[in-house]
Amino acid sequence: MAPILTVTNLTKKFSGLVAVNDVSFSLNQGEILAVIGPNGAGKSTLFKLISSFLRPTTGKVTFEGETISGRAPHAVARKGVVRTFQEATIFKALSVRDNVLVAHHLRSRAGLAGFFLGTTRARADEAEFARSTDDILGFLGLKDLADAEAGSLPQGHLRALGIAIGLATNPKVLLLDEPFAGMNHDETMRAVQLVKGVRDRGVTVMLVEHDMPAVMKISDRIVVLNFGQKIAEGTPSEIQRNQAVIDAYLGSEDESIGI
Amino acid sequence: MEQVLVNGLYLGAQYALIALGLTLIFALMNVLNFAHGQMYVLGGFVTYTVYGQWHLPFPVALVASAVSLALIGALLEKFLFRPVIRRSKRDESTMLLAAAVAFLFDAIILLVFGEKGRGVPKILNGVLNTGTIVIPYDRILVAALAVVFIAGFMAFMQFSKPGRAMRALAQDRTAAQLMGVNVNRYSNFGFALGALLAGLVGGLLVAIVGVNSGIGGAISTKAFLMVMIGGAGVVGGAIAGGLVLGMLEAVGLTVLHAYGDITYLVIFASLMIFLAIRPNGLMGKPWG
Amino acid sequence: MMSDRLQIIGYAVFAVVMLTVVPFFTVLAGRNDYLYTFTLIALLSIASAGVWITFAIGRINIGQSAYALVGGYVSAILVATYGVSFWLSIPLAGLFAACIAVVIGLPILRLRGVYFSMVTLVSTEVARLSALALPITKGAKGMVNLPMPGPIAIGGITLVPDFATLENPRIAFYYVAIILMLITFLLVWRLMRSRIGQLFVALQQNEDLAQSAGIDIARLRVIAYAISSFLGGVAGAVFSAVSQSVYPSSFTTQDSINFMLNCFLGGLGYVFGPIVGTFVLRFGWDLLFQAQRFQLLIYAAILIGLMLVLPNGLLSLIPSRKGAKR
Ligand SMILES: Nc1ncnc2c1ncn2[C@@H]1O[C@H](COP(=O)(O)OP(=O)(O)O)[C@@H](O)[C@H]1O
Ligand SMILES: [Mg+2]
Repeated sequence: MAPILTVTNLTKKFSGLVAVNDVSFSLNQGEILAVIGPNGAGKSTLFKLISSFLRPTTGKVTFEGETISGRAPHAVARKGVVRTFQEATIFKALSVRDNVLVAHHLRSRAGLAGFFLGTTRARADEAEFARSTDDILGFLGLKDLADAEAGSLPQGHLRALGIAIGLATNPKVLLLDEPFAGMNHDETMRAVQLVKGVRDRGVTVMLVEHDMPAVMKISDRIVVLNFGQKIAEGTPSEIQRNQAVIDAYLGSEDESIGI
Repeated sequence: MEQVLVNGLYLGAQYALIALGLTLIFALMNVLNFAHGQMYVLGGFVTYTVYGQWHLPFPVALVASAVSLALIGALLEKFLFRPVIRRSKRDESTMLLAAAVAFLFDAIILLVFGEKGRGVPKILNGVLNTGTIVIPYDRILVAALAVVFIAGFMAFMQFSKPGRAMRALAQDRTAAQLMGVNVNRYSNFGFALGALLAGLVGGLLVAIVGVNSGIGGAISTKAFLMVMIGGAGVVGGAIAGGLVLGMLEAVGLTVLHAYGDITYLVIFASLMIFLAIRPNGLMGKPWG
Repeated sequence: MMSDRLQIIGYAVFAVVMLTVVPFFTVLAGRNDYLYTFTLIALLSIASAGVWITFAIGRINIGQSAYALVGGYVSAILVATYGVSFWLSIPLAGLFAACIAVVIGLPILRLRGVYFSMVTLVSTEVARLSALALPITKGAKGMVNLPMPGPIAIGGITLVPDFATLENPRIAFYYVAIILMLITFLLVWRLMRSRIGQLFVALQQNEDLAQSAGIDIARLRVIAYAISSFLGGVAGAVFSAVSQSVYPSSFTTQDSINFMLNCFLGGLGYVFGPIVGTFVLRFGWDLLFQAQRFQLLIYAAILIGLMLVLPNGLLSLIPSRKGAKR
C-alpha cells in the first residue's frame, strides 16, 4: 500500500514545552490508523499540525507527495485533509441539514456571485449538495433529525453530525479527534461501524481515541505517543504486547490500556 | 521635560484607576461597560453635592461617592446584566445593554444636575515650585491618593478572600464554580467594586477639574483605550494603559500642541494599528 | 413558518405604502418635516443594514459612522469640487468606502469580540480627525452649500429632473432615500437567503469549524465587511446631498452606537430588523419630544425594558418559527 500522507520529523514547541517531538510515520491509502497516548501526549496537537491549524516548529507533512504544512487550513481541507474537533463542534444555530449543506461549500463550482444571482451552475451545485446531504444524513442515521436545530442534539448525535460535516467536504483523509468520547458502550459500537463504513466509502481515516476496546476493534494500525514522542507503531496485537506502551500507560494514573 | 513627565504621571494615576474598574468588570463578566464614564460623572456629582453643597469634609464626600456607586453597580448587575446574560444567546446583548444604561445615566445626570459644569472649593492651596517643575499641592494630593487606592485595590485582589475568589472567576468561570466559588455573589461584588472605583476617581477629580454632565461618553472611550492598550481584563495592563495614555496626552498637550488635531489623529491611527497587530495589548492574555 | 412568499408580499405592501400612501398624506397635511424624518430614517436604516451584516458574521461593528463619513465626503468632494454627477457619486462613495474596508478589514477582522469592536470604535474617531485635518475636506467648517442633484437623462428623455428646479425637493429626496432603502433590503434579503448568507451564519457560529470544512473565512469576512461599509458609504453620500453639507461631526460614535441599537431592537436574527429598529427608535425619539426634559430618560428606560423583555428584538413578536429568520 502506498502512503497517502507522511509525517516527517514533526516537532511543535509551545514556549518551552515540546508538545510534539520529532514524530514520523505515514498513513496508508484506505486504512484506519489510531493515535493513542495518555492525556497531554500531544495527539490533538498532532492533528492540528496535520490539518495545518498549527504551524510546525520543524518537520513537515506531505499529502499525495505535496507539502501541506504551512498552508492555510482551508486550503489543506480543499486538498482533501479534513479534521473534526475534539469538542463536539458544529454550527449550533443552524439546522442539522444546513450544517451539512454549508460544509459542501468547498465542492462548489459556481462562485459566490453565482450563488447570489442564482445562476444555472449555482443551482446545479445546490441540487447536488442537497442530494449528497440526504445521502450523508441517511448514512449516519440523522435523517429524521434533519430539521432539528443542531445545538439541541444529544451527545451521540452531535458526534455523528461532526462526522457528517467532515464527510460533506468529500475528504480523502478524515482526522477524527476522540469521535467516541461521551458515548456509552452501545453507542460506541454503533459508531465504530459508522467509521468503518466511512472507510469503506474510500476515505482514509486517522483517529485519536481513548476507548481501547474500540481502538483495538477498529484500527488497522496504531501509533502511540507519550510526552510528544512516538514510542511505538504497529498492529493492534503488536501494540498490546509492546513493553514501552504498557509502561507508559502504567506510569500514568488515570489511563488504562484495558489489557 | 520634567514638567511633562510629572503631568503625565499625574494624569496616568487617575486614568489607571478608571481603567482598573473597567477591566475588573470585563474580566469577571465579559461585559464592556459603556456606562463606566457615566459612573465616573455620577461619582463626581456625589462629591460635588456632599463637599461642595453640604460643606462636609472632602474625605466624607469621597466615601459617599464610593458607596453610592458601589450600590448602583450592585443593583445594575443584579437586575439588568445578570438576567440579560442568562437569557441571551449572543454576547453583543450585554454591550448594547451597557450602551442603553449609559443613555439612562446621561439622562438622569442631566435631569438632576443640569448642563452646567460644576466646581468645588480647593482642597489644598499653594503650589510646589522646584524651578524645573510647577505643580499645585492639590494635584499632588489627588495623585497620591490615586496611587494609594490602586495599591489598596491590588492588595485587596491579592490577599483578601473576595479578591482571590474574583481572580479565580476571572481566570476560568466554570473551574471557579467547580471549586465552590459563589459565582453570582462575586460577579455582583466585582461589578460593585468596578463601579466604586469609577465613582472614587470622579470624586477625586471634582477637586481639580470639577464635573460636567456631558463628559461621560468621552471618559468611557478613554477608559476603553487604556484597557485595550494594556490588555483587556488584566490588572497590570490597566495600570500600564493608564500610564501610557496619561503620558501620551501630557506629551501631546505640550510638545505637539502646535500641530493641533494632527496629534490626536496620529495617536488614534497608531493605536488602531497597534491593536490590529497586538489585540491583547501590552500584557493581555492570549485570546480567542 | 412564514414562507418566502409571505415575506415578499409583506415587503411589497410595505414598499407600496412607503411610495404612495405616506408621501400622499404627508404632502396633503403639509408636513415637510415628516418627509424629512422619513428620508433620514431610510438612510439610517441603510447604514444599519451594513452593521447588521457584520453582526451576521459575528462581529460587533461600532465603526459604521466612519464609513458614512467617508461616503459623505467622497460624494461631496466629487460633486462640489470635481463636478461629478451626484448620481454617479453614490456608487463611487460606496465603492471607496468598501475599498477602505478591505484594506482595514484584512488585519482587523482577525480580531473577535470586544477586540474587534474597540478597533472599529477607534476608526470612527480616526475618520473624524482625518476630516478635521485633511485640506480636501475643509476642516471643522465642513463642506457646505453643496449643489442639488442634477438631472438624469437618457437619449433626450429626462428620467429624473434637476432637483434645483423642483418646487419641493424634499419629496424628491424622500423618494431617492426610500427607493434606495427598498433596493438595499431586497438585495440583503436575497444575499442572506443565498448560500452566502448560510456561510455568513456559519462564520458567526464557529470560524474554526468553517475553516476546517475548507471555507476561506478570511475572504468571506472581508466581503461581508466591504458590503457593510459600502452601505455605510451610500447612506453617507445621500445624506450629504439631503442636508447639502457634511461636517466632521455629521456621523459620530454616538451614531455608530445607534446603528447597533437599531439592529438589535429590530432583531439580529431578521434581515428586516434594521428597518423596524430604525423606524421605531427614530420615531420613538421624535414622539418623545413632547416629553421635553424627560425625553432621553424615557427613551433609555424603554430601550432597557425592551432588552429585558424582548432579547431577540421586536420582530420576534411575529409568531413564526423560523419565518423571517436569516
Ligand atoms: N496552544 C497551546 N499553547 C500551549 N500549550 C499547549 C497548547 N496546546 C496544547 N498545549 C500543550 O501541549 C500538550 C499536548 O496537548 P494535546 O495535544 O492537547 O494533548 P492530547 O490531545 O494528547 O491530550 C499539553 O501539555 C498541552 O497543555
Ligand atoms: Mg486531545
